[in-house]
Amino acid sequence: MKDDQNKCDCREKREQIAREEKSWRENLVNKRVSRYNLEKSPTCFYTPNAIKDFDFLEKVGFPGQYPFTAGNAPFDFAKANEKLAAQANYRPDWGGSRGVGKYGGFGAAADYRDYLKRMHSMGRFGGPNMAFDLVTQCGYDSDSPMAEGEVGRVGVAVDSFRDFCVIYEPYTGDLEIDKVPSNFTINAPCAIIIAMYAELARSRGVDPAALRGTPQNDILKEFIARGTYIYPAGPSLRLFRDTLQFMRKHMPLLNVNSIGGYHIREAGATRTQDLAFSLANAAAYIQEGIKAGLDPNDFLTKFTFNAFGGSMEIYKEIAFHRASRRMYARMLKEDFGVTNPKAMTIRQPITAHIGCSSTTLQRTLNNWPRAVVGGVAAGMTGSLPGVFPPWDEPLGLGHSQEAVQMQLDATRILMHETGLTDVCDPWAGSYFMESLTDELEAEALAEMDKIRGMGGAVAAIESGYMPKAVAKSAYEKQKRIESQEDLVVGVNCYTSDLELEVTINREVEATYDPALMATCEERQKASLRELKRTRDGRTAASLLSSLRTHAKDENRNLMPDICDCVKNDCTLQEICDALREVFGEAQPVKL
Amino acid sequence: MNNKKIRVLIAKPGLDGHERGARIIAYGLRDAGFEVIYTGLRQSPEQIVSAALQEDVDVIGLSILSGAHLSLTQKVVDQLKSKKAEDILLIVGGVIPEQDVASLKEMGVAGVFTAGSAVSQVAGFISESVAC
Repeated sequence: MKDDQNKCDCREKREQIAREEKSWRENLVNKRVSRYNLEKSPTCFYTPNAIKDFDFLEKVGFPGQYPFTAGNAPFDFAKANEKLAAQANYRPDWGGSRGVGKYGGFGAAADYRDYLKRMHSMGRFGGPNMAFDLVTQCGYDSDSPMAEGEVGRVGVAVDSFRDFCVIYEPYTGDLEIDKVPSNFTINAPCAIIIAMYAELARSRGVDPAALRGTPQNDILKEFIARGTYIYPAGPSLRLFRDTLQFMRKHMPLLNVNSIGGYHIREAGATRTQDLAFSLANAAAYIQEGIKAGLDPNDFLTKFTFNAFGGSMEIYKEIAFHRASRRMYARMLKEDFGVTNPKAMTIRQPITAHIGCSSTTLQRTLNNWPRAVVGGVAAGMTGSLPGVFPPWDEPLGLGHSQEAVQMQLDATRILMHETGLTDVCDPWAGSYFMESLTDELEAEALAEMDKIRGMGGAVAAIESGYMPKAVAKSAYEKQKRIESQEDLVVGVNCYTSDLELEVTINREVEATYDPALMATCEERQKASLRELKRTRDGRTAASLLSSLRTHAKDENRNLMPDICDCVKNDCTLQEICDALREVFGEAQPVKL
Repeated sequence: MNNKKIRVLIAKPGLDGHERGARIIAYGLRDAGFEVIYTGLRQSPEQIVSAALQEDVDVIGLSILSGAHLSLTQKVVDQLKSKKAEDILLIVGGVIPEQDVASLKEMGVAGVFTAGSAVSQVAGFISESVAC
């Protein structure tokens, strides 16, 4: 009886609000719209009627509980230690003994080793957080004609297991590889790097089961966004499966992958495409694991995400993260029967941010307030209020110490002076935010259905649908900027001579020695010659030949073969070439 | 001026996989009335110049964000010289530090377009340069 009475009251209230809203619109809004000669109101206002059937437990729930809309946890390590960090003057940027160091890598293996040693001498003891050069990422050796001019440029060159071992020379004793984690930003040849990591441990008498860290290992988004693919999507996914089985069996502490929506959005995808394509990719990986007989309740606890993309549209980014957590958890529960709550969260280092593509070269210092907006959005979506990137990002010369200091301080100001992160999901229940979250979820689900209809992520990549959709969205965005439909301060508006270009002193730490960069290609080639001269060539050739044979059997896990190849000094390109012969090569997408 | 459409080859030399800019320029120039051919990723300087000759283009646009712009552009310039195709207008876009712009121009690059450049700027530059 009482319930019925409540419902009745509710309906009456709603009808009353609807009536009032109508009259407000007619009497107030529309009059203003015509007074200012507009076509429609430039603002919105939300009432309880925007979320009529809102069910709190179904849509939001509690932080750390299904469907995780309100966050992965009530608070995390950083929040728990917030005060301590301030009192101890903690600087997070160089990595402590628990984490990886700064993302980097350049030159020959020995150059990067020496860089890491230098970091250690400065008290920066984080594990290797490796950037590989494009040559390695695309499965070539430094002596390939494809490598000319690119060796050691955007990361370190790794041609062989010997190179990999050289990089790790400074990691012994207190920094032994079972004590510090490693990150590997590599995808197409990721199986080879994982094999090297395991073999390095074995060669040192360390159990691979003790190794920690995160290989990126997200090949599908390479076809949509980042472009460092080798084989077609199908066989690429098979290699992912092989690494997944291998890691769960031999390296259970290692994260399996780092699924990137970030790259997809930066390549131009809309928010909806970013969400739908990333989750479609995740679904393909999960499906592959289940097909291989693995339990998603187990392996999903080691899936990670490399953050989704970001933008300056703060409300929409907040809704995006609420929707993404809910969609992922629901997909796992409903489509894959996952029951372990620990397997259902989007594990990622940060949540919302503006994305590097929101920064501008014009009046570069303006990127600081831009990044702060991202920090606010992060703080409101269950993450450290990380202000990212440093304002000098688009200058392309490495971040200056000043810009990094300003980034750090901005984050600290948000942490300690504003109370921003004292409330979990502060937007929960907001008429506006809940309806925006629902809207975004519905759009992304529709896009995911479309991909499912095409046969899933692999099919939507092979047909060119996903890469082309992203390219078109990027172009649409550019058109909106050029027509001044979207405004970017200093780029397409406020560009008169009256504006001032504000600059400050910039000190860029000389991390990478240009003299070493200039000679690294020759040195890598010399090491390769030495390797090929001194190794047991017959064994190497026979191992490559069995790799080729076994690759033809789709059901066979190739990791043992790859480990043998690595251990016996087959080069990275030789291993990739053997697989190229069987799998073929992915073709670049035309317009 | 004749009515023949200006033909442009947009190319991604080297291993760099960032193709947002290249594709935007390709779509944009096409909408601006140019005939555009896009090579896709990972083209060698030889492949680029031979595609340019085969397609009889007036302009080559290179998009490079990997930091290898000096060496890759030099190779394309050398190829153009050896094929006696220096009349093809060469432009470069991508992440190009200011101090490298002069070096590129010395090599014979007609225009350099970095982040924030509008497609209309590029289109205008090409129309003017090819017309005269």
